[in-house]
Amino acid sequence: MGNRTLTFKIFRYNPQKPEVKPYMQEYKLEEVSGMTIFVALNKIREELDPSLMFDFVCRAAICGSCAMVINGRPTLACKTLTKDLPAKISLLPLPVFKLVGDLAVDTGTWFRDMAIKTEAWVHTTKEFDPTALEERMDNKTAQEIYEPDRCVECGCCVAGCATANIRADFLGAAGINRVARFMLDPRDERSPEEYYEVVGAEEGAFGCMGLMACDDNCPMEIPLQTQLSFVRRKMLAQGLKLKTEKVAL
Amino acid sequence: MLSQRILTKNPKADAYLDAIEMATGICLVSFLWAHMLFVSTIILGPEVFNGLSEFFDIYLLSYIGVPAIAIIGLIHFVVAGRRIPTNIRDQKIIWQHAKQLRHTDTWTWIFQAITGMAILVLAALHIWAISTGWPIRAESAAERMQAFWWFYLILLALGEYHASIGLYRVFVKWGWFPRKPIFFVLKVVTVIIVALGLGAMWVFLQLGGAA
Ligand code: FES
Repeated sequence: MGNRTLTFKIFRYNPQKPEVKPYMQEYKLEEVSGMTIFVALNKIREELDPSLMFDFVCRAAICGSCAMVINGRPTLACKTLTKDLPAKISLLPLPVFKLVGDLAVDTGTWFRDMAIKTEAWVHTTKEFDPTALEERMDNKTAQEIYEPDRCVECGCCVAGCATANIRADFLGAAGINRVARFMLDPRDERSPEEYYEVVGAEEGAFGCMGLMACDDNCPMEIPLQTQLSFVRRKMLAQGLKLKTEKVAL
Repeated sequence: MLSQRILTKNPKADAYLDAIEMATGICLVSFLWAHMLFVSTIILGPEVFNGLSEFFDIYLLSYIGVPAIAIIGLIHFVVAGRRIPTNIRDQKIIWQHAKQLRHTDTWTWIFQAITGMAILVLAALHIWAISTGWPIRAESAAERMQAFWWFYLILLALGEYHASIGLYRVFVKWGWFPRKPIFFVLKVVTVIIVALGLGAMWVFLQLGGAA
């Protein structure tokens, strides 16, 4: 197999140096077998340009830190093989998240805010007894919870979402999926009203326009449509039941 | 929270808006498909068409139906239209986003916004045309078709597109059926309805000279 020469067009911008306008820089690289974008970027940094900024930790699609826009689509760089791509490859940072520089974005702050907004922890009134045996859960429920829980917080669903691109306060598929995870969990004692406070608005379940770029671009292949529509149906049922009182002025 | 926000807080509003968007949409799709079936009775002959039309007149169904559909259409336009970004910057973001992503369902949403606005204008003209030429009979319809066949061709295409994609989106959002099969089913239904529409148009054009 004759090795291809790959041409990378990479977004360059350093917010610390706003005097240099954003531009696309070209790098050429010999393709090797089994090459991922992760491997390619490291080669570029080692051999061609030590100033290039990008994020990696696990290089095995577990940590979610290497998400970027590869030839237009948000996905994990460490999971993307160059052999599946044409010889011209464009790399852009994820939109929506704060740009750290070049391909590196700060997804951490966004996901932390989301976790706080959705109160992403089990709400229970039960006293924790460290000596007692753990409560049992049937396998079906455990599996159901595990589905949304596979999220690695890479941010691809948010980056691919048209709504999230124009609405800073939108929770995105990641956020709604997180809520679905707790709704499914029998240990979480939150009532539908309490969940409604969290996602029963345009910033949450009702803001989704159903474009499904999240579902189509999730590197973990989480069935996001199922999760989103599950939360939406629950929240609509709750919203139609709700009684509100007006403040008399 | 800001006081003006506290005083106007209505947690139900977003749920209701979402429900209204869906309900008006489903009403309009059902109407459009029924309407196309009624119109295509012309294929069975002018007598059948006129008979049906008279039936709607006698029981005053047209006099209730037409204004009702116009109002539902307007509500749908306002409620579904709330999703369309109104400032230039956000619109630019959406276009750039769609071009970069090359994702079918994202593009169809943009077309949905465009066809929605076009339908608002075209459907208004259509209602104006039929009400000034009242009652609807095979001859008057044939005359209209002769003069404005291109108008009806555009309205048929846009209306069917908007209805099918809209209904697909409803199923996607509420998750009642799996996405891919429902898309296929809706495509088949659309082809049938468009074929009926074209068939009816053709018959009207044939009638036109004779009438
Ligand atoms: S480096 Fe951890 S997911 Fe890619």
